Amino acid sequence: MATLFKKDWFGLLIVVVVSGLAIAAVKPAFLSSFNLYVLMVSTSYMLIIALAQMIIIAIGQMNLSVGAIGGLVAISFSGLMEVHQISVPVAVLISLVIGMTCGFLNGYITAKSGISAFIITLATLYIFKGINLGITEAEPFYNIPETVKNFGNAKLGNTPIPFLIVIPIIITFLMWVFMNRTETGRHMLAYGNSVQSAELIGISSSKVVITAHVISGFLAATAGILVVCRLQLGTPNIGDSWLLPSFAAPVIGGAILAGGKVDVIATALGVLIVVIISQALVIFKIDPFFVQIFLGVMILLAVLVNRYREYKQEALRKIFNSE
Amino acid sequence: MNKKIPNFIFTNQFGLLCLVLIFIVIFSTVTDGFTSRFNIFALSRVIAIDIMIGLAMMVVILTGGLNLALGAIGVCAAMFGGWCMEVLEIPIIPSILLMLGMGSFLGWINGFITVKTGVHSFIVTLATMSIYFGFMTMLTEAEAFRRLPELFTDFGSAKLFNKYISPLLLVSVATCFVLFYVFRFTDIGRKLIAAGANPEAAELSGISVNRMFIYCHVLSGFLGALAAILLTTRIGAAIPSMAGQLGMDWLLPAFLAPVIGGTLLSGGKLSVFGTMLGAVLVTLLTNGLYLLDVGEFWIRFFLGIILLMAVLLDRTREYFTLRKVIVS
Repeated sequence: MATLFKKDWFGLLIVVVVSGLAIAAVKPAFLSSFNLYVLMVSTSYMLIIALAQMIIIAIGQMNLSVGAIGGLVAISFSGLMEVHQISVPVAVLISLVIGMTCGFLNGYITAKSGISAFIITLATLYIFKGINLGITEAEPFYNIPETVKNFGNAKLGNTPIPFLIVIPIIITFLMWVFMNRTETGRHMLAYGNSVQSAELIGISSSKVVITAHVISGFLAATAGILVVCRLQLGTPNIGDSWLLPSFAAPVIGGAILAGGKVDVIATALGVLIVVIISQALVIFKIDPFFVQIFLGVMILLAVLVNRYREYKQEALRKIFNSE
Repeated sequence: MNKKIPNFIFTNQFGLLCLVLIFIVIFSTVTDGFTSRFNIFALSRVIAIDIMIGLAMMVVILTGGLNLALGAIGVCAAMFGGWCMEVLEIPIIPSILLMLGMGSFLGWINGFITVKTGVHSFIVTLATMSIYFGFMTMLTEAEAFRRLPELFTDFGSAKLFNKYISPLLLVSVATCFVLFYVFRFTDIGRKLIAAGANPEAAELSGISVNRMFIYCHVLSGFLGALAAILLTTRIGAAIPSMAGQLGMDWLLPAFLAPVIGGTLLSGGKLSVFGTMLGAVLVTLLTNGLYLLDVGEFWIRFFLGIILLMAVLLDRTREYFTLRKVIVS
C-alpha cells in the first residue's frame, strides 16, 4: 500500500475516481448504462491513439502523422473490403501492414537523416493525407461488411461494456510489458533519456528509433480500424482531430516531452481523465467548443504540475546532496 | 565586388532563385495560361500571404522553438478585426492596429508561458492553439463577418503594374526588407539571433534571453496577424474556417518556406530572403501542379514530398558548405 502512494499514477487515479464520483453525484445520468457505454467506446480508441504518441515521446521525439496514418489505414481498410471484396481478416492484416510501413518510413527517414522527427512527420502527415484524399477524392466508403459493423456494436453479454474495448485493454497490457519488462522497451527509455549515453553503452539508435515508429504506426493503424468499426463507414477525415488528444493524455500522465519518461498506466489514466471530463461537459450541456479550450488548458496545467514536481524533486536532491 | 559574386553563387538563395526560374520556364512552356495576366495576379496574391506566414514562423524557429498556434492567432486577429469593423464600426486604420495588437498579444502569451515554465514551445503552442481557436469559435459562434468596409476589401482586389501585381505582394516584400534590416543591422536584431544561436553564451554576455524569446513570439503573432489582414482583404470577409480546423492549414506553408529558405530548425540562423524565395517556390509549384491537372487532392501529397526533399537536400548541402553568413 505504501508503495502505491509513491507511484506517479496514483494521483491521477484519485483525480479519475473523485471527478467521476463528483459528476455522478450532481448528475446521476452520468452512471447510466448508456453513458458508461459511450464513455468506454471513446476510451477504447483514444487509448490506442495516446499509446501511439506515447511510444514516440518515450524516445524524445514526436509524431505528427499519427492521425494521418490512422486515416489512411481507415480508408484502406474500408476500401479493400468495399471495392476489392477482400475478406475481413485479410483486410485487417493488410491495413496493419500499411500502418507499420508508414511508421517504418517515418522512423527510417528520421534515423538515417538525423533531421528532427517533427519536420519529417509534418511532411509525411501531408503525404499520407494526400494519398488518402487522392484515393478517396474525399468520398467516404459506406459499404462495410456486416461482420465489421456487428463487431463495432457488440457488447460483452448483458453488460454495457462494448466489445471494442477488449482490444485496447490487451494492447495496453502488452505495451506495459513491453515498456517495463523487455530489453527493447528499456532501450527506448534509455535512448529517450540520453541519446549519447545510450549509444555509448551500445544501443543502436536507428534500431530503437525505427522500432518505436513502427510500433506507433501499428497502433495508429489499430485505432483507425477500430474507428471504422465504430462509425460503420470509412471517411477520409478520420484522424484529422487526433493530434491534440494524442499529446494530451501522455502529457497529463506525466510524460516528459524531452523523452525517457513515460508511463503506460499514467497515460491510460490521462485518457480516462480527458474522456470523463469531455463527457461531463456534454452532460452539463456546455458549449462543445469549450471542450477544445478545456483540452488546451488541461495540457498547460499538466505541464505546470509536472514542472512543479520536478522542481520539488530537484530541491530535495540538493538538500540531501549538501548534507 | 569581385569577391562577393562567387560567394553569392554558393548560397542557398542563389540555388532557390535558379529553381524558381527553372520552374517558371517549365510551367510557362508546358501549361497554358501560366503567364496570363489573371494567373500572375492570382499568384502574386497567394505568394504575398505565404511569405508573411513563412516569416511569422521563421522568427520563432530562430529561437529553436516553433509556433503551432500561428494559424489560430491569425484567425483570431481576423475575426477580431471583422468584429471591430463590422459591429463596432471602428475606422479601418485603428481596426488594423487593433488586429496587429491582438496578434502580438496572443504571441506574447505564447512567449510568456514558454519562457516562464521552460516547457518546449511545441507543447505550449499546441495547447494555446486549441484555447485560442476554441475561444474564437465560441465568441463568434462560427459566424463570418462579411460586411467589411469597401475600402478594406478593395485593397485586396486592387491591381498594380499594368494589372499584373497585387498590392498585397508589395506589403510582404516591404516586410521582408524591414525584417532583413532589423536582423542584419540593428542591435536588437543581432541580440535576437545571438539568443537563438547560443542561449548560454548570450545570457553570459548580458543579453536577457528570456526577453528576446518573448520578443520573437510577439513578432510571430504580429506577423501572423499581418498575414491574416492580407488574407481577409483578399477573400473580402473574416471567416472562422479561413485557416482550416484549429488553423492547422497554415502549418505546411509556414514550415515549408523557412525550411526551404535555409532557416535552421535548431535556431540561431535565419534567412529572410530565403524564406521569401521558399514561399515563391512553393506557391509556383502548387499553382503549376493545379494547371497540370494533377487534381487538388494530390496537391497535399506533392507538398509533403517537396518538404521532405527540401530538408533532405538541406542536410546534404550541409556536408558541402560551411555556414558562414548568419543572416542573408
